[in-house]
Amino acid sequence: MATAWPEKDDHELLVLIQDGNGQAFATLVERHTERFYRLAYRYLQSKAAAEDVVQDAFLKLWENPALWQPERNSKFTTWFYRVVVNLCLDLRKRKGPVALDEEMPLIDDREPVDETMVKIQEQKALEREIAALPERQRMALNLCFDEGLSNQEAAAVMGVKLKALQSLVMRAKTTLKERMKAYL
Amino acid sequence: MSDNRDEKLDRMLRSRRHEPASADLAQRIIFKARQLPQTKTMPLWQSVREMFGEFHLPKPAYVLASALVFGIVIGFSAPQDTGPAADDSGVSVQSFLSADEALL
Repeated sequence: MATAWPEKDDHELLVLIQDGNGQAFATLVERHTERFYRLAYRYLQSKAAAEDVVQDAFLKLWENPALWQPERNSKFTTWFYRVVVNLCLDLRKRKGPVALDEEMPLIDDREPVDETMVKIQEQKALEREIAALPERQRMALNLCFDEGLSNQEAAAVMGVKLKALQSLVMRAKTTLKERMKAYL
Repeated sequence: MSDNRDEKLDRMLRSRRHEPASADLAQRIIFKARQLPQTKTMPLWQSVREMFGEFHLPKPAYVLASALVFGIVIGFSAPQDTGPAADDSGVSVQSFLSADEALL
């Protein structure tokens, strides 16, 4: 399955995938793997688990491409974010809460050592506090800040109204501001 | 002061780092997909359309079938009381018989 059609949009690729076209699938996978991995990683805090979830999600789509229904799921990425989030939640339910990965690279190697040390502390504290947030607040925060989705898109992924999404983000930030006082 | 804290928190949230995915993750997914067969689950309307698409009958056959269906529908929907009423005929036969007996 060599990749092809970088010019085709997701919708066109999915129509081809529904006809069993492997090249279209390869193009879609190469285009989106990184972004869905990033989201899964934020939830699971484990590279291996995040890679497994992204793989499962794409293989489910390949095996049963009719799962994506253009008339119901307007945008592929919005729908697929939801698929990945659900798989992450399922995995976490089965395996319990995750511990922060100690080997996670939190720093940029090119920065001076002093600044680096401070940033390591900050980032570790931030990751710890984000991990302690309620599930939905963490999800809203990840979608809006990490994935750079608009509030409207994030609300669609979570299946909530815009106001509810804004409220989740605001509560998450208020909690973080309080708990990260020493670093702000 | 609060604005500064907000800004710094936003900056921190946007600059979170993560462990990058394996460079071959996409290729691994593509490779695994190659070994899996696709199942075609179609929506109902699409399956019905495909089912009718399987029939390749000449046009007269469709006309004949439609006429038959139409006839059956008309037949069943015709009012039941167009013939002689059962009760009326019963009464008239009874009265005829009793009239006949009276003669004897």
